[in-house]
Amino acid sequence: MADRYSFSLTTFSPSGKLVQIEYALNAVNQGVTALGIKATNGIVLATEKKSSSPLADPSSLSKISLITPNIGMVYSGMGPDYRVLVDRARKVSHTGYKRIYNEYPPTRILVQDVARVMQEATQSGGVRPYGVSLLIAGWDEGILPEEDEQLQSREEGEGEEKKKVGGKTGGILKGGPMLYQVDPSGSYFPWKATAIGKSATTAKTFLEKRYTEGLELEDAVHIALLTLKETIEGEMNGETIEIGIVGPPADHLLGVEGVEGAVGPRFRKLTPQEIEDYLTNL
Amino acid sequence: MPGFDFSNYNRNAALHARGVPLPKATSTGTTIVGCIYDGGVVIAADTRATSGPIVADKNCEKLHYIAPNIWCAGAGTAADTEFTTALISSQLELHALSTGRKPRVVTCMTMLKQHLFRYQGYIGAYLVVAGVDPTGTHLFTVHAHGSTDKLPYVTMGSGSLAAMSVFETQWKPSLTQEEAVKLCADAIEAGIWNDLGSGSNVDVAIITADKTTLKRNYIRPNERTQKLKSYAFEKGTTAVLNEKIIRKEDISKLVSVHELTDESGDKMEVDV
Amino acid sequence: MYLDVYSADGGACVAMVGKDCVAIACDLRLGLQALTVSNNFPKIFQYGDHVFLGLTGLATDVATMSDLFRYKVNMYRLREERHIAPRTFANLVSSSLYERRFGPYFVSPVVAGLEPKTGQPFICGFDSIGCIDFAKDFIVSGTATEQLFGMCESLWEPDLGPDALFETISQALLNAVDRDALSGWGAHVYIIEKDKVTKRLLKGRQD
Repeated sequence: MADRYSFSLTTFSPSGKLVQIEYALNAVNQGVTALGIKATNGIVLATEKKSSSPLADPSSLSKISLITPNIGMVYSGMGPDYRVLVDRARKVSHTGYKRIYNEYPPTRILVQDVARVMQEATQSGGVRPYGVSLLIAGWDEGILPEEDEQLQSREEGEGEEKKKVGGKTGGILKGGPMLYQVDPSGSYFPWKATAIGKSATTAKTFLEKRYTEGLELEDAVHIALLTLKETIEGEMNGETIEIGIVGPPADHLLGVEGVEGAVGPRFRKLTPQEIEDYLTNL
Repeated sequence: MPGFDFSNYNRNAALHARGVPLPKATSTGTTIVGCIYDGGVVIAADTRATSGPIVADKNCEKLHYIAPNIWCAGAGTAADTEFTTALISSQLELHALSTGRKPRVVTCMTMLKQHLFRYQGYIGAYLVVAGVDPTGTHLFTVHAHGSTDKLPYVTMGSGSLAAMSVFETQWKPSLTQEEAVKLCADAIEAGIWNDLGSGSNVDVAIITADKTTLKRNYIRPNERTQKLKSYAFEKGTTAVLNEKIIRKEDISKLVSVHELTDESGDKMEVDV
Repeated sequence: MYLDVYSADGGACVAMVGKDCVAIACDLRLGLQALTVSNNFPKIFQYGDHVFLGLTGLATDVATMSDLFRYKVNMYRLREERHIAPRTFANLVSSSLYERRFGPYFVSPVVAGLEPKTGQPFICGFDSIGCIDFAKDFIVSGTATEQLFGMCESLWEPDLGPDALFETISQALLNAVDRDALSGWGAHVYIIEKDKVTKRLLKGRQD
């Protein structure tokens, strides 16, 4: 057995650091910037499609991927590593969830599964950490934040003697838009808006200024383009920008009629034409 | 691929050897049909599920989703048709995502037959596979042992003979959509009336290049007549020895969930 | 020696849909063929505020499966920080049974509950290898299946309120098990409503 004598390449330095993971983060920080913004009614993921040569065919390149009908993903860092993670994420969402519960995993569960894959690469023998950070955006069925507030206030009004049960719909029973970042170490964070990659710091400063509570999806797409404009190196058009949105169910993409309870996918990528339209209105 | 667990097998075989009959699985006695027409394909099914002589489900669904453009009608062991189609649907969805293409009917049919052949007929799924893909309109039957047929009109299940008699007398080339739907529905009705394993309603799915239209309970020839009088009992009819009421508030006395506001500032964070 | 695993231990279970409520009921007998061993062997298990599972069949498998699902549901709740919904639970039961397609547990499960978001009633039944029977009226299982089918087909009607539903399901069960030698000896009935669950112990024949 070859794997019996394989050792982890990621080992602690005397100062307590895992330098391999830091190097992986360096790879991410050289990557093309990607960003995500959460709105009340959806999420936008955006990135630049940079081609090294004018001869490259950009239409064959895709950096934002659909994982499940309601979850999409974008990366910063090494493209090949990302493709592996996309395949793993799609597969695990079926084998570890859909084939058991006959429904797609909620965003946080999918994020945890992907994070587990990335963490294992920091502790296993013969492998290196993944050289990517991910932004994972999804919509979870459940009680939306505003519905929850209504529910809470109604119950409070009903009886004074009743103890207030804070966040009884807590945890991920809360439905609605979810945006997570996953790093090579396997750690993950929920965000309202964030950026990863080369100009992450600049982009995050910009987002901090622009982000407001109660943002709508259309505004979020707008802000995403403005942020991208700050950091972009090449020209901005439908061919060089990639945008994925988590929005209302796109029933026209369902392809079936008359199936009880069937809802269209919430995640979809904008076409170059749609992006152009947003850009002209910028 | 599904990774079956055989750990009860020996116990059950030992019980069987002592004369215990193996469990009765729900079977879809079933009439299922499919028919190609100009511009697409129609599949149809009855809605009766049986367990021996008992009608287990009067309105079950035998038309299974594989992909938006590929659907399956299933006969045989109900659990097998349900899980086999769900498994292939799942694999085909992953395949479609990684190739970036619409799934093809031949791909689906091949995956089904290879899966069923591997299990040598022990997975009792008898399927009609139909769909429209970039290569055209297709209609297949797949048997539990893994054999397949490709025909312009097909029938399967215990009502297949009754249904086939309709096709053999009324089918003609170049049907319109309306004619194909009528023919399939008539074939299913032949099964409903003449085959004891089939009954209740007719489900139809029409698959064309741009969409699939599912017509659940397209014909309901066996509506139950409403009871003229109610058997509802008066409150207090049943003798109760003990009663316990559990309310949500009672539970929350024992358990309290608090949402922590993250203003503490001293979150534990170990990050590289 | 002839022994049918489904009737070795005896038992009956039934679930019914009402208006904004569901009911699930079981008998209490545990037998060894014709010998009654216990008159306090409930066959209904709770897996959340509004999720109930009834299990009839071989008693050893009833015990094994109820524990297995307690484990699976607890793991789900820890992982997802939420209670499992009845429909999700039904699919979990189904896939767990089908995993043992070629070496099944000898049980016929019944799930009853309320959908968490809408409060809509949900019931379904399964064969021993996981085929789900989604019903809009009632589900029956156990050695008194045939008697229960007859009782339910005649007694059940749509939109019964919690009190009427209790009487209907109780009478259906009690009268069905009276014509089944292998089940009876009292019954448990759960009426599940949005903000309360009522569990009642019924008086039944002890012969």
